[in-house]
Amino acid sequence: MAREKVYLEEVFPSPFMQLWAIFRKTPVAMLGFCCFTFLVVLAIFAPIIAPYNPIDGNLDMILVPPAWHEDGNVSYLLGTDDLGRDMLSRLMYGTSLTFGLSFIVVVFSLVIGVVIGSLSALTSGFKSSFLNHFLDVVLSIPSLLLAIIIVAILGPGISNTVWAVAIVFIPQFIHITRYAVKEEFRKDYVLASRLDGASNFRILYYSVFPNIVERLMSQATLAQSAAILDIATLGFLGLGAQIPLPEWGSILANGLERFYIAPWTVYLPGLAILFAVVATNLVGEGIRHALKLRKDN
Amino acid sequence: MLTFTLRRLSLFVFTMLVLTMLSFSLSFLFPGDTVINHSGQINASAEELAELNKSYHMDQSIISQYGAYLKHILNGDFGLSAVNQSSISHDILKLLPATIELSLVALLIAMLIGIPLGFVAAIYHNKIADSAILSLAMLGYSIPVFWLGLLAILFFSIGLGWLPSSGQISLLFEIKFVTGIQLIDILLSDSPYKWQAFRDASLHIILPACVIAVAPATIFIRLSRASMIDVLASSYIRAARAKGLNFRQIIFRHATRNALIQIIRHVGLQFANLVTIAMVTEVIFSWPGIGRWLIESIYQRDYSAIQSGLLVLSCFIFIIHILIDFIYAGLNPLARGNKYGS
Repeated sequence: MAREKVYLEEVFPSPFMQLWAIFRKTPVAMLGFCCFTFLVVLAIFAPIIAPYNPIDGNLDMILVPPAWHEDGNVSYLLGTDDLGRDMLSRLMYGTSLTFGLSFIVVVFSLVIGVVIGSLSALTSGFKSSFLNHFLDVVLSIPSLLLAIIIVAILGPGISNTVWAVAIVFIPQFIHITRYAVKEEFRKDYVLASRLDGASNFRILYYSVFPNIVERLMSQATLAQSAAILDIATLGFLGLGAQIPLPEWGSILANGLERFYIAPWTVYLPGLAILFAVVATNLVGEGIRHALKLRKDN
Repeated sequence: MLTFTLRRLSLFVFTMLVLTMLSFSLSFLFPGDTVINHSGQINASAEELAELNKSYHMDQSIISQYGAYLKHILNGDFGLSAVNQSSISHDILKLLPATIELSLVALLIAMLIGIPLGFVAAIYHNKIADSAILSLAMLGYSIPVFWLGLLAILFFSIGLGWLPSSGQISLLFEIKFVTGIQLIDILLSDSPYKWQAFRDASLHIILPACVIAVAPATIFIRLSRASMIDVLASSYIRAARAKGLNFRQIIFRHATRNALIQIIRHVGLQFANLVTIAMVTEVIFSWPGIGRWLIESIYQRDYSAIQSGLLVLSCFIFIIHILIDFIYAGLNPLARGNKYGS
């Protein structure tokens, strides 16, 4: 057998690759990751894959049960709701509303939080201590309560919900970035590159960020599972997505009146929310588990 | 302890000021006229409006306006509800006790279930029991509370018919309003059907309280597991083991107490979470509490009610937070130092 590598070269994978190597070996985390990817794909391609329009009803096919039921119809795989709208299509479009929007919201808050957090980590004194106390107060308010307050000010609607949830999640990203950056700045390798004459921003960009990115990702998964629940809860309460948008929480609220005769209109969106949140949490747990193992090694 | 109390009190006053300032500024943020948002008097005539403007110092500087607003609040005047022109402070006094009752019962259930399960998970760390409890906790943490509430109603109220699905007590019983906390009011009343009423009210509270308790219980599981693992790894436990104490003695006499202290510290933070979940659950179970009232005011755009409801609810959460801080400091001498003052 030909040896392609003649020289024994020691390869040091980057911290992120080390993490991925451990993450890949945890079957449960990989399962969560696959479900998460599936949801992302579904959220992007829902309009192409979905068999029916989620808003147009077919009045000849009202409250058809799912296909495995004896009265079910196989062309409506998961049944229809009270206006004859296909549940499967509505749930697919709902993926891009509930899951997709929560993903975008978290990325948005993450970027803003990281920028403010790393800037504030570089400051010290009164400004920094004020921010610290302010964040402590804001972080002690539950995200859903804060989102309800903001929606109360802005008024109900899906765009206002998205803004409210985005604002709610910024403080926790500021907090974690600030904490992580401050911790890294105390380490020797930062001192080394400072002695080389690197500016603060250069250190931040080339030295610190690669080392804290997975901690931010772990926080982002926590935030996203909360964001899915918040968007769905606001939708359920009628403060978020309005009729006829197929947001999972509002589909569930919509099915509430016919709970007894058409239980699938309540079971299915609830299961969809549960599935999305569990997938997100599994990915988060996997990252945290891998972080712990990497630290132990 | 005195310094600790003073520090907490100053924090309390400061936070109350911030909260009232927030609620004051809501009147400017909400659409509509500021003084009408303050007072909720939508049908006021020109003279009444002038009177209101005067009492809220609307012609003076913003600081003086805030002072006038604070004075109204301290006098217990939250204005009128824009929807039915009833006094908001009266409504809140009637509804808040029901929420307190529900959330305290839920907190009790969450702690009674969550903490022992967490301890068990920590004792069997990295064994099957541990991972089973952790997976269960993850599932409980991920379930949307409104869905869980509906499933609980479907299963226990409609399927099995064991528990009632809505309200605080059957309409047959007439209980005089004393404290507002139904279970205490029933015990205080001298009705001949006292015990039937008590049984009925307890049946009504079980289902919503359990639904609320699920998510906080899973957090208690994680907290108590982490703190028990820490304690079991500490050197005094090793010393106790070296002295020849058996497992049961170590857990019950030495480990449990120190692990519990760490958990109590987090109860305050969890309580805020629990009250938010309670707001949603009140809507599903038609519980006559302040959460349902607040969400209905948001539907009806009743701005003066939203403003005062938020203020009262956040004050309530904060007071519980401070109380738990005191309990923690009372139990743990280490916490009374300067370290935890702010």
